[in-house]
Amino acid sequence: MVKEKIMRTAKRVILHLFLLAAVLISIFPFYWMLSGATNSSVNITGGAMWFGSNLKENWSNLQGTANVFLIFWNTIKTTLIYTFLAILICAMAGYGFEKYRSKGKNVVYAMFLLSMMIPFSAQMIPLFKMASKANMLDSHVAIILPTIAMPFLVFFFRQSFQSYPTELIEAARVDGANEFRIFFQLVMRPMKSTFAAAAIYAFMKQWNNYLWPLIVIQSNEKKTFTLLLSSLSSAYYVDYGQLMLAIVLATLPIIIVFLTMQKQFVEGIVGTSK
Amino acid sequence: MKRTKKAGPNYDRYGWIFISAAFLLYLIFTIYPAVESLMLAFQSLEGGEYIFVGLKNFKRMFGDAIFLQSLKNTFLYMVLQVPVMLIMALVIAVMLNSSFLKFKGFFRTSIFLPCVTSLVAYSILFKMMFSLDGIINQALMHLGILDAPYQFLQNSGWARAVIVIAMLWRWTGYNVIFYLSALQNIPKETFEAAKVDGANAVQTFFRVTVPQLKPIVLLTAIMSTNGTLQLFDETMNITQGGPANSTLTVSHYIYNQSFVYAPNFGYASAISYMVVFIMIILAIIQFSVAGKEG
Amino acid sequence: MKRKMAAMAMTAALVLGTLAGCGKTENAQPETKEEETVADDASGEAAEETETAKEPQSGEEKTITIWAWDDNFNVAVMKEAANVYAQSNPDANVNVDVVSLSKEDVYVKLQTALAGGGSGLPDIVLLEDYVSGKYLNTFPGSFADLTEKFDFSQFLSFKVDAVTQDGKTYAVPFDTGATALYYRLDLVEQAGYTEEDMQDLTWDEFIEIGKTVTEKTGVQMIVEIANNKTTLVRAMMQSCGLWYFDKDGNINIKDNEALKSAFDIIVRMKEAGILYEAESTEGRAGALNNGTVVSVVNAPWFISSIRQAEDQSGLWRAARIPRIAELDSSINASNVGGSSWYVLEKSEVKDEAIAFLQGVWEGNTDFYDTIMLNQGAMGSYIPGYDTGVYDEEDEFFGGQKLNGLFAEILPDVIPVNFGGYVAEANDAITTALANLFEGKVTIDEALEQAEAQLANQLGR
Repeated sequence: MVKEKIMRTAKRVILHLFLLAAVLISIFPFYWMLSGATNSSVNITGGAMWFGSNLKENWSNLQGTANVFLIFWNTIKTTLIYTFLAILICAMAGYGFEKYRSKGKNVVYAMFLLSMMIPFSAQMIPLFKMASKANMLDSHVAIILPTIAMPFLVFFFRQSFQSYPTELIEAARVDGANEFRIFFQLVMRPMKSTFAAAAIYAFMKQWNNYLWPLIVIQSNEKKTFTLLLSSLSSAYYVDYGQLMLAIVLATLPIIIVFLTMQKQFVEGIVGTSK
Repeated sequence: MKRTKKAGPNYDRYGWIFISAAFLLYLIFTIYPAVESLMLAFQSLEGGEYIFVGLKNFKRMFGDAIFLQSLKNTFLYMVLQVPVMLIMALVIAVMLNSSFLKFKGFFRTSIFLPCVTSLVAYSILFKMMFSLDGIINQALMHLGILDAPYQFLQNSGWARAVIVIAMLWRWTGYNVIFYLSALQNIPKETFEAAKVDGANAVQTFFRVTVPQLKPIVLLTAIMSTNGTLQLFDETMNITQGGPANSTLTVSHYIYNQSFVYAPNFGYASAISYMVVFIMIILAIIQFSVAGKEG
Repeated sequence: MKRKMAAMAMTAALVLGTLAGCGKTENAQPETKEEETVADDASGEAAEETETAKEPQSGEEKTITIWAWDDNFNVAVMKEAANVYAQSNPDANVNVDVVSLSKEDVYVKLQTALAGGGSGLPDIVLLEDYVSGKYLNTFPGSFADLTEKFDFSQFLSFKVDAVTQDGKTYAVPFDTGATALYYRLDLVEQAGYTEEDMQDLTWDEFIEIGKTVTEKTGVQMIVEIANNKTTLVRAMMQSCGLWYFDKDGNINIKDNEALKSAFDIIVRMKEAGILYEAESTEGRAGALNNGTVVSVVNAPWFISSIRQAEDQSGLWRAARIPRIAELDSSINASNVGGSSWYVLEKSEVKDEAIAFLQGVWEGNTDFYDTIMLNQGAMGSYIPGYDTGVYDEEDEFFGGQKLNGLFAEILPDVIPVNFGGYVAEANDAITTALANLFEGKVTIDEALEQAEAQLANQLGR
């Protein structure tokens, strides 16, 4: 008994230690980024690993270079709208493909999957032509619209809805609920963890979206964070302190979103354990 | 699952309504550009005008040593990186799912963190870590493994290894999250039943966890394969494709053909469709392998 | 459950509201711009002037959009130009909007927009001289012919040549990449050499000095970026008036004597242990600022990176770059990079854009002084070199007349025809050098490989 207990404790300690090592490796660059934001450029390229005293100066330099608040707002706005629309539309599509199977839909579904593999750079010029014909250049709508119907999310939702018992849907139909009510009230609720994962995916995709916003956005006022980082990091003389601070600002929201959603994950377990 | 045709005559129509929004957006923003770019693959930009050149762009690929090299590199990344990453992710996910793990939120968040870290930041960091006076060289010299600093990014083998390490670092935690959310959909009773049957942790992993996770493993495998085929950021930012094109990927080459070199959109497009073609074949293989096992 | 639905509806409404708000921000945009103009103006008076000038005929006000790529350099310079223009031409009624992008991003956007039918383009764009041929060849008719609009004899001839095709000049030359050798005098002196010894060297002499310096101080003599050693190669090549392509645009690599010598010199520097191969631009900046390397060959804009190490003030000097001893054509002057302003042919404000460039970039030597002092921008306008700024002593460089040195180097630079495929050629050379460094090939084989790769790329 005692031996077993020791074994068990040892196992737990090893597990924690292993994960702790993984955590250290994972967060080291993030730590470095944070410390970099407080260091001067020279210190960073010199290999500084500890916090410095240059934060204030980096901040005033960054503000001098760009309207950080506006860029922040642009990024938050486009990302939130995008995330909401993308998970709504893709979840509906995934549900439609999974629970209303038909030959026609399977063909469409196959097309969805296939197009996932076309590199974006190959579609860029036709997309740009469309955006300019529709007079949508330099607008946030143009950033959001083209990638809402994300094949991967449709695929992900379809996979997830597989685990939702069809019997429950049928029972609801017998009770006279209409199809949309079934989806929005019955099906969506216990799938919280799925939606949380999808939201994180969509949020990250849009938050880090670079090539397409670069192409459609024309003015400083409409810029998003990725574009700022890009222009900061390729100057003749790169101010790494300023750059690191911008990177920290650009990364924090995703971490916050993840921390929030992470709670949803836990709730999701309680909800789905059936 | 296939006995769902009970909801009356409108049933099929509802399905289409659910799909309609996505389908419409998809037709406009994916299919149309994709078709147009497919046409582009048969054209060439000369003197500001596109002219039809038939299969010239496709033929050119086979004589283009850099393209072939980039294809080889991409496959190398795929074979080396994807399986290692998925196995690591699965192991970590199972660990994170342990019932007696303390500080779950902290561990999950930290392990997820790398994939949200800005590419710019981590590529600068990786370059600095592997540089002559970087932390890696210093550590290896301290441990007596190296006598003098080694130029990792200038040896084709090591430069590729650095790219693989960078990708492992960035994307493992991301896959962990997918596995974790799938693990949480496995009813607890299944694990308890296995325990009652006297299965140890390893047996439970292979007999219960892996089969239950098969769909998500397939999903992540396709996703990662696709991600590797489209790999571009890391090579562009860390090695710039060097030394001697040994880390150059197909996507990076497509970018060069489109935007760095004199614009060659037709050729870039042709390469893109070659990638699609290869990817379809790989996906079919992956599906059929998964199908056989099950 | 009902509450849930209500909450969802609310969220939806909120999101749609914001979406609709996207349109609104567009209306708000001019306001933001005005504010920016005010903030940018050094004197409040000028700001007022612009404001009042705008008020009465705000309907006719025209915006000139400019793409440039470095906030502290060419973007800042163009903003200054806008201020100067607003003050000297209060009636012009134009608003200049400088959009800051990265250099690579400028190319991506420009190429997509030009290939995508020509909308979404700026009115003025800054392009490197190296890509001049590429754009003029691939998108003929897209850039305005400025031949008659400026007196180009007042600009440096090698700069004008770089943006001229078939006798037509398509851009206003901006900065030059006149190369200098920047070095740490203190380290050189420790090895027993003086400032005198660093003047008008050959690369052979440089290597000899380097060996002694590295031996005595333990610091490597010169830095170059590992996966992109073409800065040195290009500097050496143009010092002989040669290039990857000949005057007619034919590939000139395997029989290019300057390239052969350049490869040989770089390999010898490596073998002598005096070449510090930085892994990246960060590594290069770090090596210079940490004092782990003695010197670097680069253009004037590189000075701002060196200046970051405040503790090294007074220790640095600049000199003409070494020449290739075995080639008589080689001189102690060369050029790497440099850029020019292009006007888009289809711009709706083409005439205004040209007038703006004429108003500031031609004739206004005060402006050239200002950007030289504030941004360290070495203009290409010859009358700009006669002013007092060129006698300024630079503290960081031990009181050396740094600007004067460049003014001296510039007229010597030999023009070459960059051609349309510099990026392709750079990649071929980079690959060849990497193979050479890994010991896989000899110099002649490396050059042959590079020529073959380039020919294959260009379909020749």
